[in-house]
Amino acid sequence: MAFTLTVNGRQHSLDVEPDTPLLWVLRDELGLKGTKFGCGAGLCGACTVHLNGQPARSCSTPVEMAEGAEITTIEGLSADGELHPLQKAWVEQGVPQCGYCQSGQIMTAAHLLANNPSPDREQIVTAMTGNLCRCGTYPRIVAAVESVAGGVGQYQPAGEDA
Amino acid sequence: MAMNRRDFLKVSTSASGGLLLALNLPGCASVQTGYEPETGEWKPNAWLELTRDNDIIFTLDRVEMGQGTYTGLTTLIAEELDVAPEAIRVEFAPVAPEYRNPLFGLQLTGGSTSVASSWQPLREAGASARLMLVMAAARVWRVEPGQCKTEGGYVRHPNGLDSMPYGKLVELADKEVIRGDVPLKPRSQWKYIGRQAGRLDAEAKSTGQAMYGIDVELPDMVYAVMTRSPRYGGLAVSFNRDQVRAMPGVLDAFITERGVAVVADRYWRARKAQEALAVEWDFSEAVGLSNPDVFKHYRQAAGDDPGEDERVDGDPEAVLEKAGTLVEAEYEQPYLAHATMEPMNATAWYRDGGMEVWAPTQAPDLGRIAAARHTDLSPDDVTIHTTFLGGGFGRRLTQDYIEEAALVAYRVKVPVKLIWSREEDTRHGFFRPAMLHRMAASLEDGQLTGWDHQIVGPQILDWYVRNAAPAQYPWAPKLLYGTLGRVGLMVEGIATPKDISAIEGAIGYPYAVPNVRVRHTHTDPGVPITWWRSVGYSHNGFAVETFMDELASQANEDPVSFRLKLLESEPRHRRVLERAAELAGWNQPVPEGRARGVALFKSFGTYVAQVVEASIEQGGIRVHKVTCSVDCGQVVNPRIVEDQMTGGIVFGLTAALNGEITLDGGEVQQSNFHDYRLLHMHQVPEMVVDIVDSEEPPTGVGEPGVPPVIPALGNALFALTGKRQRRLPLKA
Ligand code: FES
Ligand code: FES
Repeated sequence: MAFTLTVNGRQHSLDVEPDTPLLWVLRDELGLKGTKFGCGAGLCGACTVHLNGQPARSCSTPVEMAEGAEITTIEGLSADGELHPLQKAWVEQGVPQCGYCQSGQIMTAAHLLANNPSPDREQIVTAMTGNLCRCGTYPRIVAAVESVAGGVGQYQPAGEDA
Repeated sequence: MAMNRRDFLKVSTSASGGLLLALNLPGCASVQTGYEPETGEWKPNAWLELTRDNDIIFTLDRVEMGQGTYTGLTTLIAEELDVAPEAIRVEFAPVAPEYRNPLFGLQLTGGSTSVASSWQPLREAGASARLMLVMAAARVWRVEPGQCKTEGGYVRHPNGLDSMPYGKLVELADKEVIRGDVPLKPRSQWKYIGRQAGRLDAEAKSTGQAMYGIDVELPDMVYAVMTRSPRYGGLAVSFNRDQVRAMPGVLDAFITERGVAVVADRYWRARKAQEALAVEWDFSEAVGLSNPDVFKHYRQAAGDDPGEDERVDGDPEAVLEKAGTLVEAEYEQPYLAHATMEPMNATAWYRDGGMEVWAPTQAPDLGRIAAARHTDLSPDDVTIHTTFLGGGFGRRLTQDYIEEAALVAYRVKVPVKLIWSREEDTRHGFFRPAMLHRMAASLEDGQLTGWDHQIVGPQILDWYVRNAAPAQYPWAPKLLYGTLGRVGLMVEGIATPKDISAIEGAIGYPYAVPNVRVRHTHTDPGVPITWWRSVGYSHNGFAVETFMDELASQANEDPVSFRLKLLESEPRHRRVLERAAELAGWNQPVPEGRARGVALFKSFGTYVAQVVEASIEQGGIRVHKVTCSVDCGQVVNPRIVEDQMTGGIVFGLTAALNGEITLDGGEVQQSNFHDYRLLHMHQVPEMVVDIVDSEEPPTGVGEPGVPPVIPALGNALFALTGKRQRRLPLKA
């Protein structure tokens, strides 16, 4: 079936079965590999993208449901070629370990900050807790979001000058 | 091929990580070094390439799976080359003898060995390249090399004015010959080692640009999925081939040694066709085990066979027999899955008599053997391209997923990517073995006088040898692979190093007890197993450190001072324990409703003590805080050490609170993250990591954070409730 999708501000026409998860359309039809496959069941958040500004699990979103929506992926998070402030914070804090979950983490955090520019720690944890990280980068994720949110992280990396 | 027996069976000196096959693999092409006038590229050694255009490329031969080799090993070479790590481009190594891990004789990343094994060779590689560049510049300027300095990719003239970029010197440098040893920088001159530095791969991994195995894209690529026997060892007999082949997009469907493969033009179409599959299986050779059988089997074995003595000090039997107070306990640990965030996958392309494979693998040279296994190819015909790994934890030391992609590619002759679903990844993994531990100890007036630790369960070599033994004889016909595996097992401990995967951490029992016995009852229920982050330490840590806690409480002693008294001659153990206790406020009152527990465990040469503060709230265990002190010798990147500790703690807590793979009639009952649960952010405690400042040689950090947290939490729960938990996962 033919679909028109708007991804990162660009329109794409494609022909796929309507129940194909958006995840595989983004990755394999449009070559946007930054969105990851983790569980395929809405349980991990690795595949998180924005649909009309709302976080969505693309592994569990049939492409037909995404037609007409503004879709944003990690590749389109920052429109101007600069890194998004969260991405800068991720680099500064050295958040990623294996990195596989991090696109999803950043997309979830970006949605949080878009709606609440200065969340406290509890709000951050509540917003982020559906995104799994097997490497356990959670403390750095919190610190990175807090650094952008202007909060002061209590979390002190060892060896860093206090 | 002339090669004597000693060459083959070079016994590795370190038994770190329980990875033990030290093999010499003939037959791989070596890395070409030297200067290439056409391209202006100079390779002073296997790891470095410097170009006329001032590019510096480092070939990373230990895979990056999150543990930080991409940053850490680059830092080592950058330090001696005297350039910023950020100025170096990192490429993943192909398979070549130069890139083998000297501790295993295989090109393998595991056992928390990367920094330790690369510490000397990589610094020497950087230093010798720098020296050759300096010698070349000195020759041009007619000055003494010793008077020249280097900085930021330039050689500086002694006059302080002139300088030449490395790129200008590469051709000349190639002609220089170093006589004698290459001096390494003294610690006082380090600019990058030990400095707080970020991760070189952080930006690629924060922008979706890092390429993992699952992201590989080739022209006209097709997709494959594999339906494996629900029980280990079952074989596909037949399936509804015509029906499946008629499904949209399906290109092929066939029975393989690994199950039924479905190949389609799109991944989702392959999955949908898979749903329509009806397979008839032959289970006559399959494992039909159910969970209670596993421990029944172990108990039976433990009674029938006292086990092989792995360590005996004094006369433990006699001492235990006439013990004043005899304390006994049994601990059970379940099978565990790795649950890497990136599911197993590999991409393969068979053409012109050769096979190319792209894969997230921890052991690319074993990947070649796996790819060749079910084809007419030899491992030499296989090229492996390693990508970033979305987690490894030991799972990707076993190459079954490469085997599958390759056997499909061999048939379809176009590039094919084979992806496992999460459910397949959970069910068809190779697990951390379930283990039983029987402990006994004697106390006389509060003094620990005897210790007997019986470990009951399989060893990993029995499974891994299938992968690794043929690597020893790559010219051997594949028909012999099975035989080679059996021979490999027969010579284990005699001609090859002993597999210590079941006993590591138990034989190294550090406490000063005069009578110690550690023994292993070797028995295997037939469930596939492999290395899992911290391997034998993961279960021995729980048994040893929980039992120590039981003994402290029997002796009416504080768990920290009970341990310290037995560590008089173990200064590094003592130090981390004292520091963790101090930092955690061990002697201060615990907040209302909480309790603390402690554990101390050395693994992979690294000493870690952890204090856990926990409570039980609304019927669930809540971990509030973990304080960790680590001594891993010289630190290359303190931030990565800290991340590996906190990551290890989260990994260990996940096992302690949730981790369990269970079997029913040979079928794994868990499938996805709803029933094989990982820790969520809201469950993660506050974590404090203290790193001991040390000039000892560096040791690993990827795994040692895992073992102590599991008993430390159990011990905290005992302090809280007075009830001892002897089986994992822990219950509220
Ligand atoms: S892959 Fe979509 S939630 Fe896990
Ligand atoms: S960084 Fe590896 S899963 Fe999150």
